[in-house]
Amino acid sequence: MSTGAARTRWFWLFTGPALAGFVCFSLWPMLYSLWLSFCQDEVLAPPRFIGVQNYLYLFTRDPSFWPSVKVTLVFSAVEVPLAIAAALALALLLNQPVRGRGGWRAIYFLPSILPQAAYAVIFGYIFQADGGMLNRLLALGGIQGPAWTTSPTWALPVLIAMSLWSFGYPMVIFLGGLQSVPRELHEAAHMDGAGPWARFRHITLPLISPVLFFNLVMGVIGALKVFDLAYAFSAVQAQAPGGPARATLFYGLNLYQQAFGFFHMGLASAMAWLLFAFTLAITLLNFRIGRRWVHYGD
Amino acid sequence: MFSRHREPLLWLTVVLLAAAGFWWAGRSHEPPSTPGRTVISWYVTINSLREHYETQVAAFEKLHPEIKVRIIWVPGSEYNVKLKTLAAAGRLPDLFFSGDVWLSYFLPFTRDITDLVERDAAEFGLDDYFPEIRRAMQLNGRYYIATQDMNLSLLYYNRRIFQEAGLAEPSADWTWADLVRTGQALTRAPSAGRPGVWGCSRVEGWWGEWLIYVRQAGGKVFAPAGRRCLLDSPAAITGLRFYLEKSSKYHISAPAGYEPINGFVNERVAMIVGGHTVYWFNYNQVPGLDWDVQLLPSGPVTRTGGELAMAGFSISRTSPHPEEAWALAKFLTRREAVAAIVAQGSLSVRRSVAEAALRAPGPHANPQNMAAVYRQFEFGEPIPHHANYVEVMSQLIQPEVDRMLLGELTPEEAGRRATVAVNAFLATFNPTAP
Repeated sequence: MSTGAARTRWFWLFTGPALAGFVCFSLWPMLYSLWLSFCQDEVLAPPRFIGVQNYLYLFTRDPSFWPSVKVTLVFSAVEVPLAIAAALALALLLNQPVRGRGGWRAIYFLPSILPQAAYAVIFGYIFQADGGMLNRLLALGGIQGPAWTTSPTWALPVLIAMSLWSFGYPMVIFLGGLQSVPRELHEAAHMDGAGPWARFRHITLPLISPVLFFNLVMGVIGALKVFDLAYAFSAVQAQAPGGPARATLFYGLNLYQQAFGFFHMGLASAMAWLLFAFTLAITLLNFRIGRRWVHYGD
Repeated sequence: MFSRHREPLLWLTVVLLAAAGFWWAGRSHEPPSTPGRTVISWYVTINSLREHYETQVAAFEKLHPEIKVRIIWVPGSEYNVKLKTLAAAGRLPDLFFSGDVWLSYFLPFTRDITDLVERDAAEFGLDDYFPEIRRAMQLNGRYYIATQDMNLSLLYYNRRIFQEAGLAEPSADWTWADLVRTGQALTRAPSAGRPGVWGCSRVEGWWGEWLIYVRQAGGKVFAPAGRRCLLDSPAAITGLRFYLEKSSKYHISAPAGYEPINGFVNERVAMIVGGHTVYWFNYNQVPGLDWDVQLLPSGPVTRTGGELAMAGFSISRTSPHPEEAWALAKFLTRREAVAAIVAQGSLSVRRSVAEAALRAPGPHANPQNMAAVYRQFEFGEPIPHHANYVEVMSQLIQPEVDRMLLGELTPEEAGRRATVAVNAFLATFNPTAP
């Protein structure tokens, strides 16, 4: 047997199971959902082809589609930069040579391993309008706090504040990036009279730009498919999912509701494909823009 | 020799391992049944009746040694999703918890039990059910549910708060005006060391309260055929307006979002319109909470409009053991079982149990006014049998009602927007007419 043929066999032997899994459990369901997006499928009856009706309904008549798009975009636009800034700031602090640095890193990482449902419960107590910790604190200063969790104005900012506590994973990635920045560059710049900000701006930031870019791409993708936080938040507040008044109706939550709450699988498939297309477009855009500011050291 | 066959052997091993994995994952993990003994599965929500159910099943298995019941407990919040997923997968349990709010949706996989009900009418005690319950158990004249318990909208009130305020307790002839007048007299701003009290709670986030006002004002959510929404009618708007003005005009309820947590239990609200009988059990666990009930206040058009919803057990259409499942359903809804639930603090769906409870109240003192409870039956209104009822109410209408409460929409705008959304939905999804 020739070496080439043997290598081919070994290739298929090792990649075969993964490929089979991908085809059966990812590719086939994806293609099937593409087909379903052109069908009315209520699960308990066979799918019925209806052309682009699902897409038309979403764009023109569904009262929940555009609000869920808006909620998701606002969340992504606000939360992702804040989360990255918070994670980077903490990584910079935790990269300092202080006593017990490992312990501090563990402490700051701890909130990230909490389930989102636990966040929803804890923050529910803090932000409760009547008797919540924050409003009681504000009342001491003579201020009547708003109905944070049940006001459409405040519910989304509360969710953003809750999600910021999950900064642990990007923080750890930033720490890894910071530790790869050569110390000699900082020392040389310092000797040339560069201050801390100048060193951060002109040395640290360019050298960790691939890590920053990675966190940005992952953060945007994560923000576009937020589900568990919003679901738990509604449940804790005893509101319909996405309440109050669709103020926390994230796209992912809306999709879940259509698919598994009400079994509109055709409509949910259309939503899933729209999300896929949008996420792909945003990611490609990120990569295109990233070429201008990400430095891979080559 | 081995090296010649090494590759085919490796391939064979991989294929065999994969096949074994698929076989193991796909095989039934249910315990093997004893020969001569039928195993039936029962899918039920986790609630305060868990101990009762376990006792009942033990008694049932003793009475029917040929039947083994496998109880599958499901968290209430996930119940519908899981049941529908099982239906889609063709793996439904033999018996499952159901109710009129879900019946139309569950109908494609729910067995018509009319033949069983009529065959065993005497043993089942069909005539013992209140007529209103018997009607709610049917869809197009056919039976689908063996009813166990129910919810009935009522006016709940805290007797101690009334006594402290020197006010007479609500009477059966109350109207909305009485509710407002008394609510205003009961509402008390917080003072040094004492939290404030609202005259009346307001149920937010679902239709439990506003639907009562819409109906009592002569409005309806759906046209009779169920294919059109009527929430923009003047009568419906009147109901929505009263719901809003409880806080914005009359100031008897907290502004939207400021409803005290567990306000009735914590004695921060004096009255509840609608409520839910499932909370009786909880109310009776609170030391010192002296509460009672009365008929719902009458609206400008009618007193009718409070919810009359029932829950019980249905048999799946694909069950291979319908007789055994029916035997269990009968056992769980027999007079003694219903009486046991009522003794825990619930409402009877059976006339005989209700009469016995009226003659000899159980260990729970409240509610005392059981006569009003059973009189409210005639003013209750069953949930419309509409396949998309829950979705329409919670996803399409409720957000507009929420926005109305928050002052973003007038009642007219909320009614109009909700109607447009519901009609577009109904036109697109073309649900089965009730």
